[in-house]
Amino acid sequence: MLEFDSVTKTYESFRLGPLDLRVENEILAILGPSGCGKTTLLAIAGGIVQQDAGTVSLHGDSLDSSVPEDRGTVVVFQDGALFPHMTVRENIRYAAVPATDVGGLADTFEVTDLLDQRASSLSGGERQRVAVARALAADPSALLLDEPLTNLDAPIRHRLRDDLRAKLAPLDIPVMYVTHDQSTATAIGDRLAILNDGKIQQIGTPATVFERPATPFVATFTGHDNVFEGSVKPGSAQPHVQWGPYQLETDCAGFEPPTDVWFSIRPEYVQVVPEAQRDETPNVLRGSITNRLFEGDTYRLRIAVDDVDERLELTVLRPAYDHHGLAERDRISVSVPPTAIYLDEVE
Amino acid sequence: MPFQNRREPWPGDWLTVAFLLGGVLLLYYAVPILAIFLAQSPAAVLSELAAPSVVSAATTSVLSASITTVIAVCFGVPLAYWLARTGVRWRPLVDAAVVLPLVLPPVVGGVVLLTVVGPNTVLGSVASAMGYDLTGSLIGVVLAQTFVASPFVIVTARAAFAGVDQDLEHASRSLGKSRLTTVRRVTLPMAWPGIVAGVTLTFARAMGEFGATLMLAYHPRTMPVEIWVTFLEAGLGNAYPVAVVLVCLSVLALLVLNVLGSDPWSE
Repeated sequence: MLEFDSVTKTYESFRLGPLDLRVENEILAILGPSGCGKTTLLAIAGGIVQQDAGTVSLHGDSLDSSVPEDRGTVVVFQDGALFPHMTVRENIRYAAVPATDVGGLADTFEVTDLLDQRASSLSGGERQRVAVARALAADPSALLLDEPLTNLDAPIRHRLRDDLRAKLAPLDIPVMYVTHDQSTATAIGDRLAILNDGKIQQIGTPATVFERPATPFVATFTGHDNVFEGSVKPGSAQPHVQWGPYQLETDCAGFEPPTDVWFSIRPEYVQVVPEAQRDETPNVLRGSITNRLFEGDTYRLRIAVDDVDERLELTVLRPAYDHHGLAERDRISVSVPPTAIYLDEVE
Repeated sequence: MPFQNRREPWPGDWLTVAFLLGGVLLLYYAVPILAIFLAQSPAAVLSELAAPSVVSAATTSVLSASITTVIAVCFGVPLAYWLARTGVRWRPLVDAAVVLPLVLPPVVGGVVLLTVVGPNTVLGSVASAMGYDLTGSLIGVVLAQTFVASPFVIVTARAAFAGVDQDLEHASRSLGKSRLTTVRRVTLPMAWPGIVAGVTLTFARAMGEFGATLMLAYHPRTMPVEIWVTFLEAGLGNAYPVAVVLVCLSVLALLVLNVLGSDPWSE
């Protein structure tokens, strides 16, 4: 287990922590925006940066006085950090412990054909495959990956992401995978830690964090586009959120007494129809389409909701949208079923 | 049509204009170099080169410049690495100290050195008492050359070290290699072209050093001092042969710079 106890690091205008974190023999994806401290956290674990206070330990042994080469925490950098003056084989051998099967590792990471090429001639995806193979050749006690897929094109990133997940999961060592990309984090991590402004906002399985975000920031950062503030009036098994003139029925319970809340509207449950066709079922918002972006199979709609100074962002399937013949500036009704609403108390 | 090529207002383009302007300066460099080779026949030059004074000056220059270069590498390359990697606030002061000998007139450099190692100084007296004269000796020549020429290797190697991505060093250590192994197997090979360039420039500058050397060590004569003395005593014509040798050594240094100094890792 890789363990951070009350770790802090302060730069001129930024402070990481105090931060407590346990990484079991699992893949923990650290997700956060640029500058949130996730790379600093990784650098502290790797011994590249010294924390101001707190303790980092691996399998119970403190790493605080260990130099990077004695820690067993191998870092994979964003661009791979391959040694450009060496071949791929030399890069892997550079780190290899005596028992390492370099050929076998090369096979596993599909770089056998590249073994005699200079590292400087590799593509981005090839570089990352070699970088991870090299890291594993060192027989790490913990693996620290710093946005290794960030600079790759989407198709290569998706394929490599799936490959990495398959190869890292059986390692049975603590793996920290830092990224700012929500889809990569949820796809690769056994658990997800959301980091913002040097503090951990939430830790849990990707499904839990996505389904039950702890804060508006977590909701926004994990892909909830529509996060608003409202209030809940008690007195019903299914509380209603008061949002401007709208009273939205929800599936959430447990809000007593009157409570200020933040809530998100999940676009995948929402239906958009022309205003003339709207029915009188509850939870219908009215507004107009202010912007429509073509995204291949889908449209991205921005909708100005009447009587509240807010915009809804929705992704709708093109056939369903085209069926209604909707265009920008058209009046519409947005049906929001109770299951589409997730809400939590404002702290 | 925003991307349509437009006709230039005059024939040729701005690159041609830039080259023609720069060409004036290029001619100013090249013509005197050619002229010195054409001023005397090769046979006359070769016969002058056999003169004992010329042989002695060449030996002194090559020996002293070699020692100077070794000293500059041993002390300058570590300093260059420190400058490239340190985050201390007073680094600009060290930068200034390194560059100072480059901008100081060499004669002034000689005067400055005399205040520290001259025969009437504490250091000069102690060394002299121990049998090592710091002026008027090969040691004096080396001291003068080191002051003037060693900054070249520091400045060039520093730029080369700064060009080595620090993540490569972090990666190496993270992979279990010590700091020393990391420098030996990652940093130095990658900075090598820049270091070679600095070494070559330092050697070439030491070979040509005149001002500070004249102040510190008139004897034993280096080639620049020999040219100066010959020019004063026997006229310009007799100074040509040694000058030709120095020009040849400079061209040779330039060749080494281009061959060894090119980046062998580039694709």
